[in-house]
Amino acid sequence: MVADSNYDVIVVGGGHAGSEAAAAAVRVGAKTLMITPDLLRIGQMSCNPAIGGIAKGVVAREVDALGGIMGRATDASRIQFRMLNRSKGPAVWSPRAQCDRELYPRSVQSVLKELMGLTVHQGMVSGLLMAGDIIVGVRTQQGIELFGKTVVVTAGTFLRGKIHIGGEAGVGAGRVGEPPSISLAKELENRGLEVSRFKTGTPPRIDGRTVDYSQIERQDGDPEDFRFSSYTKECVPEQRPCWITWTGKDLLRVVKGNINRSAVFGGEISGLGPRYCPSIEDKVVRFPDNPRHQVFLEPEGLETTELYVNGLSTSLPPEVQIELLQTIPGLERAEITKTGYAIEYDYFPPHQLSHTLEVRAIPNLYFAGQINGTTGYEEAAGQGLMAGANAGLKALGRKPLILERDQAYIGVLIDDLITKGVDEPYRLFTSRAEFRLTLRQDNTVRRLGPMACDVGLLTQSQEVEMNNLIDREKQIQRWFVGATIKPSVANPTLIKCGTSPIKETVRILDLLKRPEVSAEALAIAGHAPFDPNVNWNAIAAVEVELKYEGYVRRESERAAKLREQATFELDGSIPYKTFKNVSYEAREKLSKISPTSLAQASRIPGVSPADLQNLILEVRRWRRESIVTSSIE
Amino acid sequence: MPKEPVTDTIVALATAPGLGAIAIIRLSGGQSLEIIQTLTQGHHGKIPARSPTILPIEEPKTGKLLDHAMVTTFPAPKSYTGEDLVEISSHGGWLVPALVIEACQAVGARIAEPGEFTRRAVLHGKMDLVQAEAVIDLIEGRSRATHDSALFQLEKGLSRRISDLRAQIITIEAFLVHHIDFPEEDEAPIPVGIIAEKGKTLLNDLDELLRTAPEGELLREGALTVLAGLPNSGKSSLFNALLGQDRAIVTKIPGTTRDAIEATVSVGGFPFRLVDTAGIHDTEDTVEQLGIDVTQRYLNHADLVLLCVESGRDLLEDELHFLDKLEGRPVIVLRTKTDLHTKKDKDKNFIHTEIAPRGADEVLQISALEGTGIARLQETLPNLIYSRLVRTGGFVPALTRARHSDSVRVAKNHLAEFIQELERVVPVELASTHLRSATIALEELLGVVATDEILDQVFRDFCIGK
Repeated sequence: MVADSNYDVIVVGGGHAGSEAAAAAVRVGAKTLMITPDLLRIGQMSCNPAIGGIAKGVVAREVDALGGIMGRATDASRIQFRMLNRSKGPAVWSPRAQCDRELYPRSVQSVLKELMGLTVHQGMVSGLLMAGDIIVGVRTQQGIELFGKTVVVTAGTFLRGKIHIGGEAGVGAGRVGEPPSISLAKELENRGLEVSRFKTGTPPRIDGRTVDYSQIERQDGDPEDFRFSSYTKECVPEQRPCWITWTGKDLLRVVKGNINRSAVFGGEISGLGPRYCPSIEDKVVRFPDNPRHQVFLEPEGLETTELYVNGLSTSLPPEVQIELLQTIPGLERAEITKTGYAIEYDYFPPHQLSHTLEVRAIPNLYFAGQINGTTGYEEAAGQGLMAGANAGLKALGRKPLILERDQAYIGVLIDDLITKGVDEPYRLFTSRAEFRLTLRQDNTVRRLGPMACDVGLLTQSQEVEMNNLIDREKQIQRWFVGATIKPSVANPTLIKCGTSPIKETVRILDLLKRPEVSAEALAIAGHAPFDPNVNWNAIAAVEVELKYEGYVRRESERAAKLREQATFELDGSIPYKTFKNVSYEAREKLSKISPTSLAQASRIPGVSPADLQNLILEVRRWRRESIVTSSIE
Repeated sequence: MPKEPVTDTIVALATAPGLGAIAIIRLSGGQSLEIIQTLTQGHHGKIPARSPTILPIEEPKTGKLLDHAMVTTFPAPKSYTGEDLVEISSHGGWLVPALVIEACQAVGARIAEPGEFTRRAVLHGKMDLVQAEAVIDLIEGRSRATHDSALFQLEKGLSRRISDLRAQIITIEAFLVHHIDFPEEDEAPIPVGIIAEKGKTLLNDLDELLRTAPEGELLREGALTVLAGLPNSGKSSLFNALLGQDRAIVTKIPGTTRDAIEATVSVGGFPFRLVDTAGIHDTEDTVEQLGIDVTQRYLNHADLVLLCVESGRDLLEDELHFLDKLEGRPVIVLRTKTDLHTKKDKDKNFIHTEIAPRGADEVLQISALEGTGIARLQETLPNLIYSRLVRTGGFVPALTRARHSDSVRVAKNHLAEFIQELERVVPVELASTHLRSATIALEELLGVVATDEILDQVFRDFCIGK
């Protein structure tokens, strides 16, 4: 039983979105309650045991820079680290870590335990408490009523969740072994929210002791002592390799022969799945000419021999799963520890939200994570943090926290969700960000730290660490800009880099502008007063910001233009449907999405540049006329 | 399909006013079907869609019969404007159409602004901007080639070409996205060298299209063809011969044509704006001085100059000086009034008159009076000015407006920079910023809305997903 039933913020759910939401709400000063069906599963990794990847790794770093949990938990549980896109420019580097499935949630839970002002309650929310249109709390299955000024729902795949294995009719479940949440889903729908369905899948897990490692390729992590968290230096566990193998012709035969027994292709599942994370059935059907597909075997943890078979997500029956697995080199005698399955669940199309992730039709109710049609731990965490912070800020009567598209991938994510909606489970890519030279993994603290500090998301010790870090980066930048280098010192390096030697002393900056010469090489050659091995991330920032200064400047000019458009505000009272000089499609979309600025309107699919031009004229005319009308009245 | 929201209904005469046995009146907008029902009360029952029906049109208040007209309804969205649209073919003349339009107004329609039907078609996505421009060109076209080009453009010929070029840029972007966003996939990334090669092919395509612009733009206005020459050198006679009617006053007194006279003629199916001006020599006569200023003003914009020089004599210093000043502009020297010289004279002057003087592209002998040489001139003109189009025919994509070539040039320049940077080993994520700008330039030209096509293409073409 919960002793006190009045809170500032109630967070429903304890996954990656729920954990960050609860922590952020507490950090901004709100008295917070988290309700989740199983306390032991708080922070659980339900899908693959990894954090990060392209764009997602930057989000994990952003969450950390904003005082979130994800970075610390990843550091404390990572058993392999790699920096993806190393061969390209630092602007698109993305950290990725394989995590121990036991250690990760344990770390999340220990961070939550440190938070004074957070109450955790085990229970299943079955309904909402309303005062008119406004939400005032939730009711649990046991009939307990809990009151909160604001409520954040992070229900993951639980809303009318249904698991499919093989051609069998689906079984109601939120995750394997856990019941779905049906009454909450129904109540939200009955309150007039538009609802839709997505599906996602997981591959089978296998026993690592049954794998023939001599036949497969070993993939070790990068040696760097990389940390996802900039503020807290957790102890990193011992490192493990991943393994790579390939499917062949025999797998094609097995999948094709059983395609009708797949839940997805047999017609059992209606929801749409993500194109970037297709099942093996999908791959075989859509790319019949590809003779082979890559399979990653990822360790599930230090204490277990289980391997996650990444790339082989499937909803075929268990006996077919084992048959197809055993066609793969190295897995001829593999045994399945957990069967792969597909899961279908409700989500609420996110155009119904505002930029704070508050549901427009139900004030004080916030959504974060898969309920908004996204996939991915990082996407969930980013939304959770923003929804929790904003729910807390609103409960305390403070100004909301909104990240713009040129400030964070989290800003891109939320703006995409509410502006463009989703037609498949949404995940981030660098190509979704128009300012990706700015949104890098190496500058998250500089981008977001001060803002987080202002809102109160950082602890005192995090604030001190933030300022140290920013100072250190500034010093490094200053050295690159100010220092000079003699020919005798520079030339060996220049020749090694394949560029022409110099004849007289020049500024380091001039050499940095040569595409062939890296900042790191110059730091070493020029005997920089800092250790390049420790400060490689700050050096990566220099690589982009100084060497390719022209590109970064052009990007920030574009961002400034966008900001200018953002000052032309729009609101829900504008009668778009009467604007006859705006295209029919644009009128419909504008009414549906109700953008807050011209900049947001410009991103709505179906709104053309000509529409925007006319929209400005129509809105100005309408505002003039409504002023005249109201002054007559 | 949601019902069309409140838009007012517009009405206008679609055919030329006054003339003709039949007049077509068009109604477009949310109320047009209702309006036609009201005007045809005498007919009971619903007017069938897309099927011409003869109906009595009545004045709404009095029920007085205005005309028996053929009415065709086109319910949205399958209509020219994408809205509910009605075409009323009434009897022509001045009065009947006016009465029908008045009746439409009386029950809620308003008179359309110029081009409003086409504007609505663009707003409803029935055509893109390039097509809408073609509608205007088609209506205003003054020669067969203009007509062919406009029709081709209207049928999306140009739009398709530009969309196709845009799609090619997107393909290159998709390769890069695959490169950057999916570094660990089955299929290894496309090598940068191949991406650069694709870029170069596309660069050539953009260049090829851009080369159509000078002729394409001339097609709409007509090539400005200035007749120059000393007073009484036969300019006005030539003007009339090309025009086929006595428009300029032809006399023997030097300096009769004091101002420029302009007419658009179709020569071999191609439009030429023919300008007859005052003579090129300096004069004290102030009125004629004005005429010479006009010459200079036209000359500055001339696409082609026809210098008339009476045959039977060498070119004068003035005329040679004039040719020098034209600096590379196409010019034909016409040895005029060949009828005034005997065959013997012609033989004597053969050497002087057949060889093009310095600065001229061609020399031709003509007699406007006898009509000799005119046919050859008419053959030469299109070949000189519209050589590409003469070769390819009108039904190829051509850029017909400065707006078109500006956008294509922007796209081309960005693409060129992209390729250069790839070759200079600038990281792909930086170089690729130019591709976006190139795509946007072409999208602005079409007036289309960009969607997430790049990712769509990546997922279609590559097997993605661990």
